[in-house]
Amino acid sequence: MSKMNRIVLSIPMVFILVLIMSELPLLLQPDGSHSIRLDWPQGAASIKAYFSGIPTGDSFRFLSGQNTLSFWEQIGSYFIISFGYLACGALIGTTIGVLIGIYFSLSRAEWLKRTVEFLGAMPDFVSILLLQFLVVFVASKTGVVLFQIATLSVKEPAIVLPLVSSILIPASYMIRNVTMQMTYTLAEDYIGFAKARGLRKLYIVFYHALPNVLPFIRADLHKFLGILIGNIFIVEYLYNLHGLTMLLFSNVYSYSGYQFPLVVNGLLTLLLLYAVIYTLLKTYLWGWEKVLSR
Amino acid sequence: MNKTLLAGLILTTAIIGAAIFGKFFIRHDLDEPLKIHYAVDSSGKGTIVAPPLPPGKDYPLGTDYYGYDLMTRILVGAKYTIFLAVAIAFARVFFGGIAGMLLGYFARKPAKRREPATTWKLLNGIPIFLVIWLLLAGLSINSSLSPIRLCVVMGAVLAAVGIPSVVISIKEKTELIREKPFILAARSIGTGHRKMIGAHLFPHLKDSFLILIVQEIVLVLTLFGQLAIFHLFVGGTVMTFDPIEYNSRTNEWAGLIAAGRSSLDVYPWILFVPLAAYLVLILGFQLLARGLQTLFNQKYTKPSRL
Repeated sequence: MSKMNRIVLSIPMVFILVLIMSELPLLLQPDGSHSIRLDWPQGAASIKAYFSGIPTGDSFRFLSGQNTLSFWEQIGSYFIISFGYLACGALIGTTIGVLIGIYFSLSRAEWLKRTVEFLGAMPDFVSILLLQFLVVFVASKTGVVLFQIATLSVKEPAIVLPLVSSILIPASYMIRNVTMQMTYTLAEDYIGFAKARGLRKLYIVFYHALPNVLPFIRADLHKFLGILIGNIFIVEYLYNLHGLTMLLFSNVYSYSGYQFPLVVNGLLTLLLLYAVIYTLLKTYLWGWEKVLSR
Repeated sequence: MNKTLLAGLILTTAIIGAAIFGKFFIRHDLDEPLKIHYAVDSSGKGTIVAPPLPPGKDYPLGTDYYGYDLMTRILVGAKYTIFLAVAIAFARVFFGGIAGMLLGYFARKPAKRREPATTWKLLNGIPIFLVIWLLLAGLSINSSLSPIRLCVVMGAVLAAVGIPSVVISIKEKTELIREKPFILAARSIGTGHRKMIGAHLFPHLKDSFLILIVQEIVLVLTLFGQLAIFHLFVGGTVMTFDPIEYNSRTNEWAGLIAAGRSSLDVYPWILFVPLAAYLVLILGFQLLARGLQTLFNQKYTKPSRL
């Protein structure tokens, strides 16, 4: 089966799984105060309603507060914001990660490595809260507000801190990964051979070792992107950015109850975003490999 | 025993000790919040004492917005956070480990490595905490179930979603060990499957299991925190309207952090105290994992040739 075929075939599969996932909140219902029960009929009914709502357009409207909004009109701006932060995080984070990772595998500054490792292992939301706390602390001591700690109005969006946060997490993951793979690669015999031939250190690192590290990073891209997407949820929520994930979370439960069509559409858009970022990052890494090939 | 491991052991033991024996150190019970009152000191100067109080003599860690002692809340909540995280990690590694070991031992090795289907790769785009949130949000916000029951439900869900990654990791390790000469030697003298797993596979995986448990604890704690940011607390969320507020029923740490987030700029200690406790806990387990890894790695790694 060709690659194209596989991708095309996977689309209906993904759609079915998204439907099942969106149905989860309807499925698990408390039954009195002692047990929970599975509510199948309600789930089935909502799926049916979703399909019958596609031609009439009902499945592409959602409630935000008291207002009924059109999904197609709203999604564009939300998508752009999420895409921007994700793309920055993915590209800049990867670059920083690879470079620092190389440095770490060569240097003997153990304490620096340890510090970065523990900072990187800190949960994403903690680092965001600490950044916000730092800004508040500086402001209360000096009266200078360095950066907006969250977006309060459209006129004064928070940009610097969200950007820093969306780069920090992927970068720290990449650093760890590259350092590990690089250390393994540098222990190989062909590195010793290259050194014996009198090649320069940087040449060996970039033209002998790195080309053998990049495939591991490429193989790990899906995990990396999973972390990125998880991170963007937290970033958007804590900085109050109007991105895709915020649209999902703030409107999942409207005053009329659970909005099944919105969740389905939102998750599908999220997966589309995932595919776009994946392609972008893969092309970027492919570029690295082309430049570094001998 | 290296320094990292020792530091990790001391930190985690101290916190677990606090979770078990914390109730003996409670100064202000949870049913007696600080009331607004007028206090006159020895020089005759009067002040109005009103919550939230910053950390001070009477309240070492301060009080929250409604006058409850933060130290009490942290000590009471500790057992939910820690023991549930440990239990979930154990469950993941126990069931995942058994399944992974059996799969790795019995599964026939495919001729060439098959790539996982595109569908599964794409589903990476939906973070695991979103799935858990969707599943549990309706159930745990203003729930009719008791906190303990909700903890059990949440624990089961969190354990279940974490098992696949453990299975894969253990399976890969088992497949590596299976290729070793001593397995061949054992097989050639007619060792049975049970003996093979018990006496040859498991002893070589013991180290990995131990590290995996500690790492899973850190992962679960992170997950608690992420869920709490979206108002899903261990043991249930109390949502009050007008103003909309989310409070933890069990005083579990991630819940305290999430509830304290709104006090970031005015009463920073309400956020900072639970955040610090949570960070120390994660750091402790992190050090433990790191220390164990160093301990076991000393035997195997090759040095860099550059």
